[in-house]
Amino acid sequence: MRDKLDIEPTSRTPAVAFDFVNNHLKISGESYPEDVTEFYGPVFSALDTYLGKLSKGTCRFDFELIYLNSSSAKAVMMLMDKLEAAANNGASVEVHWFYDKEDDTMQELGEEFGEDLEAAKFHLEKMAD
Amino acid sequence: MLAGQLMDLRSMLHTQGVIFAYSGYVTEPVLSGVGEALKQKLTIDDADTKTLRSVFAIFVEQMQNMIRYSAEIVQTQPPPASDAVALMEIRYGILTIGREGDDYVVCAGNLIQRTDVERLRARLSKIRDMSKEELKALYKEKLRADPEQGSKGAGLGFMEIARRATRPIEFDFADIDGDHAFFALKATI
Repeated sequence: MRDKLDIEPTSRTPAVAFDFVNNHLKISGESYPEDVTEFYGPVFSALDTYLGKLSKGTCRFDFELIYLNSSSAKAVMMLMDKLEAAANNGASVEVHWFYDKEDDTMQELGEEFGEDLEAAKFHLEKMAD
Repeated sequence: MLAGQLMDLRSMLHTQGVIFAYSGYVTEPVLSGVGEALKQKLTIDDADTKTLRSVFAIFVEQMQNMIRYSAEIVQTQPPPASDAVALMEIRYGILTIGREGDDYVVCAGNLIQRTDVERLRARLSKIRDMSKEELKALYKEKLRADPEQGSKGAGLGFMEIARRATRPIEFDFADIDGDHAFFALKATI
């Protein structure tokens, strides 16, 4: 398995920093790609491989998204589902959703995703200034 | 003559409070470019963060709706840099961003099939009349559901627009010919 997945941010796609060695995964920035499947496909498959081998291990996933369009929201939901499934299989999963305190839409979206997590622990936090 | 004609067009837009106007074939690079300029203008206007993000989010959903669903289509060669070989389709639409008093307004219009008018009217009426709480619940339900037949996105675009807007969305249809109608959608922030 690869040690990490690093994708540089663009104006329309977020930075992906999956540090599999330290079990710390992060997505940050803006997400409104031209083609959601093309962007998130490799992210999903890297995450699937990692979570498949996590077993009872510990993993932290940080979402630090400033803006995401509606098709990206669907992709984020699928990421959450994968994390929840891993937690149901015995892993200890912590999900942190950081939102800009001046944009309550992103706070609400975080709350909505959080409501669906039971096995995975969800934390809603303000971004640092 | 030439300056007069273009000045007239500009004046007409200006009178309606329009700051940005795009009428033509809409592509993803158009969205990127106009989007960057829109962000710059909103920053110059000193719009607060929430307004800036909402205007931008609605702009993105409106543009992507036209790119994906406008019924006015031409086929074109793929750009030389891409590795696509098949003809690609580009779609026509009009989008304006402007001011009405202290509000921002984002309007988009494009052709649709006449057979889609009633389905779209019903869907938009339902969304327009919902409270923010009801919209939140429906959004969540649709996020989990499979996309509807014919949908190329997540089927969440109109709800995202209504949730981000500060007033109820407005929409209208005009008959064009036996097959097509013109569809217009306005969001106020």
